[in-house]
Order: sequence, then structure tokens, then C-alpha cells
Amino acid sequence: MAKVVLENVFKYFDDVVAVKSVNLEIKDKEFVVLVGPSGCGKTTTLRMIAGLEEVSEGKIYIGDRLINDVPPKDRNIAMVFQSYALYPHMKVYDNMAFGLKLRGLPKKEVDERVKEAAESLELTKLLDRLPKQLSGGQRQRVALGRAIVRNPQVFLMDEPLSNLDAKLRVQMRAELQRLHKRLETTIIYVTHDQVEAMTLGQRVAVILNGELQQVDNPVSIYEKPANRFVAGFLGSPQMNFIKGVIRKKAGKYSFEAEAFTFVVPPEVDGLLAANVDKEVIFGMRPEDLWDVPSSTWLEEQHRFNIKVKVDFREMMGSDINVYVKAGKDQMIGRIGTFADPKPGAELDLVMDLRKIHFFDPETQKAII
Amino acid sequence: MPYYLKKRITDIIINIVMLMFLGLTLLPIGWMVFSSLKSSTDIAIGRVGLSQTLDGRPKIQWENYVDMWKNVNFGLYLKNSLIICGATMVIAMLLSTLASYSLSRFKFPGSDLFSNTILATQMIPAIMYLIPLYIMFVKFTVMTGIQVKGTYWGLILIYSAFFTPFSIWILRGFFASIPKELEESARIDGCSALQVFWHIALPLAIPGIIATGIFIFLTAWDELMFAWVLTNGDTMTIPVGIRLFVGNYQNRFDLMMAAATVATLPLVVLFFFLQKYIVAGLTAGAVKG
Repeated sequence: MAKVVLENVFKYFDDVVAVKSVNLEIKDKEFVVLVGPSGCGKTTTLRMIAGLEEVSEGKIYIGDRLINDVPPKDRNIAMVFQSYALYPHMKVYDNMAFGLKLRGLPKKEVDERVKEAAESLELTKLLDRLPKQLSGGQRQRVALGRAIVRNPQVFLMDEPLSNLDAKLRVQMRAELQRLHKRLETTIIYVTHDQVEAMTLGQRVAVILNGELQQVDNPVSIYEKPANRFVAGFLGSPQMNFIKGVIRKKAGKYSFEAEAFTFVVPPEVDGLLAANVDKEVIFGMRPEDLWDVPSSTWLEEQHRFNIKVKVDFREMMGSDINVYVKAGKDQMIGRIGTFADPKPGAELDLVMDLRKIHFFDPETQKAII
Repeated sequence: MPYYLKKRITDIIINIVMLMFLGLTLLPIGWMVFSSLKSSTDIAIGRVGLSQTLDGRPKIQWENYVDMWKNVNFGLYLKNSLIICGATMVIAMLLSTLASYSLSRFKFPGSDLFSNTILATQMIPAIMYLIPLYIMFVKFTVMTGIQVKGTYWGLILIYSAFFTPFSIWILRGFFASIPKELEESARIDGCSALQVFWHIALPLAIPGIIATGIFIFLTAWDELMFAWVLTNGDTMTIPVGIRLFVGNYQNRFDLMMAAATVATLPLVVLFFFLQKYIVAGLTAGAVKG
């Protein structure tokens, strides 16, 4: 129950800069997800908050206390590791009670707290087992339980779900959200999985190469990515990127790619003025590239019909990811299962022009 | 040839080879036990079978096991060996457990140099130390009046010094194989560095510690060279004692074999009960070391 503030935090490993000038304020009781590809520095950031890694430069506060030089045991935090890190030689009960015993709590209180946490996580029957006698999902719950009994100011979670199978992961996602609501504690959660980031985070912080790219709520990050990296990282299949040029004719802006040209609707073209006749990267998410029958609801001024050639397709069950080519440019669209795109055939697709993005090819920053 | 047949044949061949190795390993032990049950004359003339009574029936010479205790003071040697090897094991394990943990977990100035030096000491043959140590022991007594040669603690000191570096090297692998997250998790749970060692690392390294401890005990138990030179009649260990059966005027190989069999027994018992740890310990150290 405390905010966490990172002020201009750097981490160097010898010559490598792992974390670069991170400024982040995590509010009290907030669930913040740090997301990024492997090796981007998100785990290092978390470990610095935990005190397992020294801060090379900058300041970290938990609550109002500067904790740069405070050892992990005095930070009043709990951490859930990817490997769960359950103590293999202790029973579930002792795993959960370990932190409380070390803090010298009376036996009775330890017992009460452990039993209460076990109850809420449905671990009561497993308290006498050793970790090796548990399934992956049960171990995960014990790891959570061990963190909960401590009643810490801040929960740190380092990819806690990535060792679970897909179905359990979905269950545990819901479980975690319930937990957050019940405990009302600050949670900082690290993952490389964008679905976890989108579904769990009240705010999501996207990190690349040790630098914070964008911090915002999941919807804003998805709909208004700050740069090409964020746009490409969130969303699956990833956003289509096509190179082209912005032109201005008769007061209207248009985008010219190799194989197609469309007029940018006036409500989104406001920021294109500075980029006339310049090269830009056009971005469009696969789900905004429709088949014709599914897009009848879309108003005429926001539609752009494009003829493409089908490369191949992936049947997803609920819909089809269709890989198509417009000229030399490859795109992915998501279309209804009633359509039956044959490889090599021509296909009519519809772009939703309200959902277009443009990026500056040099700075990679979003123009729209 | 079908796959399962091929596998079966390979299995059989592997089993035969393993059995041959087992036979080779057991041969000297079998020879020892067998010889301990023959008379000294039959060993001397090289009779292949068991000894015989005067009327030609085979005779098992159980008396050897009784005579051997009368002939030399075997009970004393057994006691000496247990004291010296036991104390060596305890001291070497105490030192090496702490040292190997620090070497595997903490980086400090000279930590790499230190662990490489430990390894380098193992390249020097033990016999090179023998004469310097002997002279040191004698001079120490001359200078201080404190007796070292011929005492328990003199040999315990030497053995501990010899076995500690080796144990450090083996145990380092065990500690290194304990996942770091466990210790990090304990630190967040509220452990100081020493508590992490005590509550987490030590219990998890127990198989390795037991395996290494037994290894030290066995090696010390068998050690002859230093024990021979640095002990006296009162502190003599079993290997030295067994040598007494070979004398200037008679060689009692029968009693020697009986004594050797008795000396082997504690090791067999020890190994029998702790083999689980030894095998688990040695393989764990090998893979992650």
C-alpha cells in the first residue's frame, strides 16, 4: 500500500546499459505491467525495485522512503518469481510461514495468516505437501500465497504465469485481477506477453532496449501507440507497416504506397501538414482490414477498398488470418470464416480509415 | 533388424561389459576375503582352494579373525582411525562448506585467484610434503616443547589441510547448482546473508555435503604414508597397523587379510546406507559444477 517512484534510473552491467533513464510513478494500489521483448530491461527494473540489483544511477522510492541502499528484507515487498522459487525442502505451510517466522511474529498469528491465505487460494489441503508433490498451477498458487501472507506494501511479479499451460494461464489471469481487487495493494508485474499486459494492467509501461517507450492505460496504448515499436509489439498478428509518401492535393491529404493510394479522412489528417511529400510508414492493424461482407456497417467516407492477392492463410477457428500482397507489400488481414480465400486468388478487402497510423521513418515516432 | 531387437542386443552387450567391470572390481576384495579364511601355510605355498584338515576335509580358518586381535593391538588402531578420520571429516567439512559457499555466491577481490589456487594445490603430489612436514613437526616440538608427531591432533591437522581444498572444489559445484532465485526469494522474505546460507543453501546442499564428507572419511581411512611417518605406537591407524603383520621374521598374510576385511567393513556399511546421497551427490556436482 504505497506508491513506487523511479527517478531517472539507470542500470549498467559493465559496458552494457540495461536500463536507461527510466522515470515512472506507480500510484498506490495500482496494477502496473512492465512489458517488452526479452532482454529489454523490464526484469532488471523490477529487480532494482526488489533490491536484488543495485541501482547504478537515479533514485527509487517506495512510499516516501528512498530505498536505493535498503536491503531487500527491509523494503516490505514480496516477489513472485517465474520459477516460483519455492523452497524445495520445506512443506507448503513452511514455505508460506517462512517470511513471517523470520520477522519474529508470534506462532499463533503466523498460523492464522497462513491458514487464511491458504483458504483464499484453495491450498488448505496441500499444506503438508512438499513443492515437488504439487502441479505447476498449485506451485504458482503457493508462490502467490507466500507473497500474500507477508501483507507487503508492494507486490512484484516476474512473469509469474509463463510456466503455466495456456488454459491455466487464462484462469490465473482472472485470479490475479480478483486478488488485486481484494488486497488493494500496489502490484508491479513484468511480462513479455502482450495479452497479459493488456488484460491485467491498469496501466502498461512498454520498454525497449532499457528505455521506457510509453506508459498509459491499455486501450490508449493499443489505439494510440507512441511509436512504431509499441505499435508493432502490442497486437497479434502484429500491425502491418507499409512505406509510402504523403501528398496534398486540392486541400486533401492522401497516402501513396507502391500499389495503392487513399485519401486520409479529414478528422485524422490534422498532423500530416508537416509531412507533405515526405516518406512515412503507414500502419494498420490486421483486425482493421476487413472482408467486404463484414464491413457493411462501415460508413462510406471511412472505407477504402483494396484489391490484394492471397499468399496463404491461417485458420484460427474464430476467424482467419489472411496473408496478402498489395504489389510488393505484404499485409495481414483478419476476416470472417465464411470467406474462403484460396492462395493465389484475388481478394477484396476494406480498410477502416479511422484506425490508420503513420510513423516517421527516421524517429519511428507516431505522426497520427 | 527391428528396432526393439537391436536395442535388446545392445542392452545385453552393455550388461556383459558392466558385469566384467564389476568382476574386475570385486576380484581383489573377493581375494582378500577368501585369503582371510585360509591358513598362513596355504597362502605361502599358493594353494588355490580352501585349506584342508588332516583328514582331507575343507577347513575354513575362522581362527584368523580371532588371532588377528591377539597378535597386534587391532582394537586400538580401529579406535585411532575412527577418532582421526572422524575429526578430520568434521573439521574439513566445516571449513569447506563455508568456503565453497562464499566462493560460489560472492565475488570478492581475489575470489577467482583463490579458487584457482585451490585447484593448483591439488597438482602437487602429497609425497613432496612428507619430509618438510616431518621436519616441521620435529622442529616445532624442539622450539616450543609441544608434542606434535605421534599425537592425534597432529595427523588431524595434516589431514584437514589436505582434504579441505578438495572438498571446497567439489562442494562449490553443489552450491552453484542451487537456483539463485531461491536465495533471492529468501532475501526478500527477510533473510540476512547468513540466514540464507543457514535456512536455504545448507539444507539443499546436504546430499553433496554428505557425499563429500564420506569421501573424505574414506580417503583418510585408507591413508598410509603420512599416518606411518607421523604417528607412533599409541596413535597408529589401521593401515599402519595392518602393516605390522608383515615382519622381519614372519609374514602373516592370513591375519593381514582378516584385518583388511575387518577394516573394510565400516566403509561398506557406510556406503550401503548412504549410497543414495553419494550417487545423487556426485552426479549433481558433475552436471552443474
